[in-house]
Amino acid sequence: MTPLDWFVMIATVIAIPSFGLWRGRGSKTVNQYLLAGKTMPWYAMGLSIMATQASAITFIATTGQAYVDGMRFVQFYFGLPIAMVILSATAVPIFHRSGVYTAYEYLERRFDGKTRALAAVVFLIQRGMAVGLAIYAPAIVMSVIFGWPDRITTLLIGIVCVMYTTTGGIPAVTWTDVMQMSIIFSGLILGLITVVSLMPHGVSFTDAVYLAGTVGKLNAVDLHFDPNNRYNLWSGLIGGSFLALGYFGCDQSQVQRYLTGKSVAQSRIGLLFNAMAKVPMQFFILFVGAMVFVFYLFIQPPMLFERAAMKQISSQPEYAELQRSFDNAWQRRKAAAEEVNAARKSEDETRVRASVEQYRAADNDLDAARRNGARLYEKTSGASGFNDTNYIFLSFVTRYFPAGIVGLVIAVIFTAAMSSSSGELNSLAAVSVMDLYRRHFRPEASDRHYLMISRIFTALWGAWAVIFAQFAKNLGSLVEAVNWVGSFFYPVLLGVFILAFFFQRVRGSAAFWAMLAGEASILACFFFTNIAFLWYNVIGTVIVVVFGALFSIKSGREKRISAII
Amino acid sequence: MRLPPEIRDCEPPPILGRWRNMNIVVLAWLAFLILLFYAFTQYFS
Repeated sequence: MTPLDWFVMIATVIAIPSFGLWRGRGSKTVNQYLLAGKTMPWYAMGLSIMATQASAITFIATTGQAYVDGMRFVQFYFGLPIAMVILSATAVPIFHRSGVYTAYEYLERRFDGKTRALAAVVFLIQRGMAVGLAIYAPAIVMSVIFGWPDRITTLLIGIVCVMYTTTGGIPAVTWTDVMQMSIIFSGLILGLITVVSLMPHGVSFTDAVYLAGTVGKLNAVDLHFDPNNRYNLWSGLIGGSFLALGYFGCDQSQVQRYLTGKSVAQSRIGLLFNAMAKVPMQFFILFVGAMVFVFYLFIQPPMLFERAAMKQISSQPEYAELQRSFDNAWQRRKAAAEEVNAARKSEDETRVRASVEQYRAADNDLDAARRNGARLYEKTSGASGFNDTNYIFLSFVTRYFPAGIVGLVIAVIFTAAMSSSSGELNSLAAVSVMDLYRRHFRPEASDRHYLMISRIFTALWGAWAVIFAQFAKNLGSLVEAVNWVGSFFYPVLLGVFILAFFFQRVRGSAAFWAMLAGEASILACFFFTNIAFLWYNVIGTVIVVVFGALFSIKSGREKRISAII
Repeated sequence: MRLPPEIRDCEPPPILGRWRNMNIVVLAWLAFLILLFYAFTQYFS
């Protein structure tokens, strides 16, 4: 990092949250602190919802995911617009008109106290783990830049996030997100331009795209239906829709965003804006990762992208041989890639086919050499499941991006992490205070008391997030880990809200036991089947709805209860 | 399964007149993107 990078990074990191705090100043009541007094316009909500998802994880892990696994991850987002359309027509007006602070408060009005408490606890477990992952992501940034151990950096970032969140509240978080998204869009465009401009002489943009596509890095749509395949069109459209319905419809960190809207229409437009912008944005980010892969066809990458792991294996006796075989594999792949380019320009079909086969074989050899390096690290460190996907993009940025842009990209990652983590901490505090503390321990205290307790809970959840982040390292790609954790818990929340909105004869006990049955079915899928995790969302939700309806058969003649209460 | 009338009678969107039109635009946009990405995948693989 040059002095210019430091200047850009520090200025951006200070300026964006400061703007948010200034725009969101004056949160003196619980309503203002948790719901911004219901004053937010649609564009602020829409950008804020996008920014919460576009956390540091998005930049660090999604680009790495494309480098390793290609662009097929984009299919995961295909269900999101469908979910947004459904939620904007159902959840948004229902929650708005019910006048609740949290989504789970609504469940008590519709069902009973125990269903509300169970849903709140499920949310706290799920989001509590996810916020740990969100805090861990920027720790990777610090590790790559400074070489500091993850544990120390996680602790430092956790402290900063907690301080920022306790003072800000949801208005500050939302306005920070608005600024952050404009920086993110600029950073992305600059990032792609820089990657493409760094390609060696003679490799055009079209050549780069062809080379990425030849080894399957541009596999954006896979029509083949396979329930054990993590990402294809069908798992994305069906499983992704259910996961997005669960996330945006039942997760307080998202519900809280559209509860801040000036009106129902403003909140609905905010969600639909997100529906249209999210898929192209993810495609763009993955494409940057695929271009990083092409760049490393011509410039040799490190065997392992995590600097600390590389340092550790380099002192082992087997290292020299492994490095030699990695160097050779890379040389062969580079030569094969150059031959593909030359063959394409000659327009000789036979030559093109032969060169492509060689290129694919050389790419497989290089992957194998990299895996040997990972195995050596696992052997020497005693850790299992080594995965450096999250280090690929950062390692690239810090080595090859020009001065100033490095600082901007790092700043984007920092502010994204701070903003999304602070939003999550704020929602965790909201549920802890409104659904548990006020409901079960101090129902009649003053507004000032609840505001103080909200800040205390924010700090406690921050401490928990830091502790959980210590275990995040071995969960592989962070972006997958977050969605994997979500798929364990969102289905039961989604199922119970479907019962609440659409099954007007279902009562509290039926909903409660149906949730437990749904969670049991997801655990059974995990322990006894090989079904890909996105399908847990479908299975769990269907089980909750079917069991809820079955448990309510005896109450078939009871009075219907409207979804708006 | 039925939606309460209060939801169906929600205030109109600022553009396109009806929420149904807004939803159609969003879903058509999704279909267009999937087709575009599919063509992209096929062409470069």
